[in-house]
Amino acid sequence: MTGKRRLKEHTRFLLMALPGALFIFVFLLLPILSIIVFSFWRTEVYELYADWNLDNYRVLLTEPTYMIFLWRSFTTAVVVAFTCLVFGWPIAYFIARYGGRYRLLMILALAAPFFTGIILRVSALQGIMGPVGAFNMVLMTFGMQPIEIIMFSRVATGIGLVYLYMPFMVTAIYLSLLNFDFELLEVAKINGARPWRAFIEITWPLNWMGTAIGLILVFVPSMAASVTPIFLGGPNGASFGSVLGKQFGETGTWAFGSAMGVILFAVSSLVIYLVWLSVDLQRSGFTGKEA
Amino acid sequence: MRRARTLDVLSKSGSGALLVLLYVFLYAPIAYIIYTSFSKNIAWPFPPQLSLRGYELLWVGRTYHEALYNSLTLGIGSAVVCTLFATIGSIAVLKYRSRWRRLIVITYLCPLFVANLLIGISSLLFNRQVLNLPGNIGSAIIANAVHGTAFAFLIMLAQMVRYDWRLDDAAMVFGARPLRCFWEITLPNTWPAMLGAFVISFILAFNNLEISFYNLGATQTLPSTAWGSLRHGLGPELPALAALVNGVVFLAFAVMYLLMRYRIVSFGHRE
Repeated sequence: MTGKRRLKEHTRFLLMALPGALFIFVFLLLPILSIIVFSFWRTEVYELYADWNLDNYRVLLTEPTYMIFLWRSFTTAVVVAFTCLVFGWPIAYFIARYGGRYRLLMILALAAPFFTGIILRVSALQGIMGPVGAFNMVLMTFGMQPIEIIMFSRVATGIGLVYLYMPFMVTAIYLSLLNFDFELLEVAKINGARPWRAFIEITWPLNWMGTAIGLILVFVPSMAASVTPIFLGGPNGASFGSVLGKQFGETGTWAFGSAMGVILFAVSSLVIYLVWLSVDLQRSGFTGKEA
Repeated sequence: MRRARTLDVLSKSGSGALLVLLYVFLYAPIAYIIYTSFSKNIAWPFPPQLSLRGYELLWVGRTYHEALYNSLTLGIGSAVVCTLFATIGSIAVLKYRSRWRRLIVITYLCPLFVANLLIGISSLLFNRQVLNLPGNIGSAIIANAVHGTAFAFLIMLAQMVRYDWRLDDAAMVFGARPLRCFWEITLPNTWPAMLGAFVISFILAFNNLEISFYNLGATQTLPSTAWGSLRHGLGPELPALAALVNGVVFLAFAVMYLLMRYRIVSFGHRE
């Protein structure tokens, strides 16, 4: 390839890739940078003032309630992400391996519940799991005790979040498996590897990047969940996200809300970074880097 | 050998059963919504008392027509922007080499890693303080499109990694102009991925609450009417509308199934 051709290729690449990248830069990264700035400001009667101070962070880090909310949201999100991982893997594997020509339909059927809004679906979950809900009504007509743990508790919030974000996990793993060469498993079998060992040594590491994306796709929204805990979490269910949302609704304390947003962003980014460290691009078949 | 075979059958049926359970779990609340849409009292739907009041109110109520229209505009607007950026961007990343490639991929994917709530509040403040844009359907489309572009890009990338770009080069060698090449070679091979990206980004924006809520201003969409109506109890129109939307979705799925069943359209699947 000559130098001239290469230059042309580079220009073409930039011409095609830059518009979208600029769009994301302007409408995602600049807004995030701006709330970092605003988090050092002050709000008064729904107006932001450039009065630089660290007060918002001082309150956030010293008032134990906020740290308790943060910790609660964090642990819930970790448990939800791992639950989705455990159930999502075999499901995605089944679709990719045995779905045949209906694979796309099977995946779209996982996304279709999103056509119904989150509020309606979560309140329907409440209708099913709540004290007068369908589930406990059935138990009681058979003379059994209602299951109390699934009404207005952190477990209920967790079930709600698994319900909402499981499709993300399955889709991420499925997209990874789509580019996985299942014949590698045949080779392993011929060479005498047991199925379990072939999974540990071939399938899992080669699809770890897709799995890691799935973990992050579930963790990030679960950590920031604001609506689900309000509906399902009961009186002690308030989450960091729901308190954060309040700063932009009822109270209008935008600077403080920005500081909460920055902390949420920082914690999520740290988790993403830790997960990313475990990804070995050379060993994942996902990026198409062999090209 | 026989043991390995039993294990195979066991894992296949086990994971298949899990998939069925997941569908039941995902669609139980939707079945519940459809059920309540036909009942007299939404809050206490047991024992069943049938009524069509929700549908009657929906038929005459202007609010919900407007909300549905706005949701559709938001969904389609965002999906068009997302599919455009994602298609062009993913072709660039897959087809050309560049030392910027890794940076571009990370930029396209980074909205995946920012929670909806954060996108919502940060674009609210940025639009207000820096750009002086009011909250309206346009800013909501932009904010949703940021989120959707990342999903669309991921879907396109994963589906097209294996596409052989030499086909395009071959067409060019035989004298096809870039546009004709795209129309006759690239598009027929990539449209299922583009359709997938479009549908997913439409779904994400259509009923998005957390991004849209902070950027819509006074414009009402389906989720924001739902949020508003919660204060004085969920109205019977909303379950009725959700039931109708799901009816359309199920119909689309049935058509898609038949097209696949009789091999009229394969949606990108190769035997």
